[in-house]
Amino acid sequence: MSETHSNEAAESLPEQLNHRTWTQALREGRLLGQRCRDCGAETATPSAACNACGSRERVTIELPTTGTLYTETTVAVAPQGFDGGYRVGVVDLGSTRVMARLEGDSDIGDSIELAGVLEVDSPVPVFE
Amino acid sequence: MHQAHIVGVGMTDFGVHETPLTELFASAAFDALDDAGVGGAAIESFYLGNAMSGQSEGDTHLAPTIASHLGLAGVPCQRYEDACATSSNAFKHAVRAVEAGQHDVVLVGGVERCTTTTGLETPEMTSVFASASHRQYEQPTGISFPGVFGLLTTRHMHEHGTTEEQLAAVAVKNHGHGTLNDRAQFGTETSVEEVLDSPIVATPFRLFDCCPFSDGAAAVVVANEDVAADMEADSVAVTGIGHATDVVPLAEKEDLTATQSARDAATQAYEAADIGPEDVDVAEVHDCFTGAEILAIEALGFVEDGEGGKAAVEGTTALGGRIPVNPSGGLKAKGHPIGATGIAQLVELTEHLRGEAGERQVDGATHALAHNLGGDAATTVVSILEGDA
Repeated sequence: MSETHSNEAAESLPEQLNHRTWTQALREGRLLGQRCRDCGAETATPSAACNACGSRERVTIELPTTGTLYTETTVAVAPQGFDGGYRVGVVDLGSTRVMARLEGDSDIGDSIELAGVLEVDSPVPVFE
Repeated sequence: MHQAHIVGVGMTDFGVHETPLTELFASAAFDALDDAGVGGAAIESFYLGNAMSGQSEGDTHLAPTIASHLGLAGVPCQRYEDACATSSNAFKHAVRAVEAGQHDVVLVGGVERCTTTTGLETPEMTSVFASASHRQYEQPTGISFPGVFGLLTTRHMHEHGTTEEQLAAVAVKNHGHGTLNDRAQFGTETSVEEVLDSPIVATPFRLFDCCPFSDGAAAVVVANEDVAADMEADSVAVTGIGHATDVVPLAEKEDLTATQSARDAATQAYEAADIGPEDVDVAEVHDCFTGAEILAIEALGFVEDGEGGKAAVEGTTALGGRIPVNPSGGLKAKGHPIGATGIAQLVELTEHLRGEAGERQVDGATHALAHNLGGDAATTVVSILEGDA
């Protein structure tokens, strides 16, 4: 992939949001989601059609990088490849939510913001 | 439409089994056939639940392999995978085929090994379990399955004030029930103090809030009303099955404490059976973690939303209580060999409806309900059985 291509992606929203373009944006500090053109339902990760109405008309949207902590868990006994003792949470972004790794000691209801990307496996957001 | 009946049941002890899957399943299947009083020649189709053996034991295409071990080679065989709801889904399809008149008598069962007999230690098996989360948007966070239910339960605690002591009470109750079940992996009592002193697995769950890794198998023979009437063994009618799903990844579920698929599946099952939650005499629900039982009894309508935490503390869900939940000990004490769990619930309930559950018998039970969920509750199957007692 060329440098030019990724710069273009940083300035605009990809027409089609998929795992590749979602990941690419995340590495640039942006959280992209989708809005259903027909019913308006929003999601924080890409799907090929809307679960609310079934429409395939997906519009890529820029999601806020601040949200509130909706729920959390500290994983002590970890899957392979991870060292236990970390926190995973669900972040409420207003119109949708996303699962993220957490840094710091935020409680449910606290305001947290996108602070980076965890790349043990494929990239996922880190909120703090 | 035909009326499907369970005409025979069998299951192994749950725990640690060195025997291969074929031999483990044969033990449960032959018990079920013998209980029904039929030979293998009567079986027209075989429905198998097995969730993970491709990952955990390098063993796939298991349905015809097991059928061959049972002397059933030749009949149509199918294997189902829906995480922990695996064998309930096999059961649903078996019942639908009998209802439709496609088959008169079928064998349905589940088998799984999750202990170190597979050669996998805890971190590896934790990864196998975690594979039921979304591959791109959940697994890379390092979420474990206790963590998934930790997220749901932490939210329930936030919204309703559910406490760690209330979670522990579920474990205490189910361990107590498990002491009355010879087939249970854990046959010992525990206490709130022991639960709260056990090490954290994923908050809010400690070791004693979690079901164990288990090996085991369970099987039932399902037949139509004509075959059932000719059989010696007491049969129970399958009067309702509901099956619903919810969004994966879990962050996009509308309500993290509702387990909406359970509510939808229960609505379907109650409607088909023409009963309501107040008519259920005994239930087996999917208590993979203590918090999961609390979410389940609310979703099934046994208690009001937000009141689930009190149920075990107040004895509502204990044997002798208003609605006994998990008399077998549940997944928590009986054990949870993933692909066998759904059918094992039906074995337990059939025995209650026949009046054959021994010390843990719910007296006079006529209506029984099984709730078996898969993944982050993105799948739930609810089955309702009726006996004549």
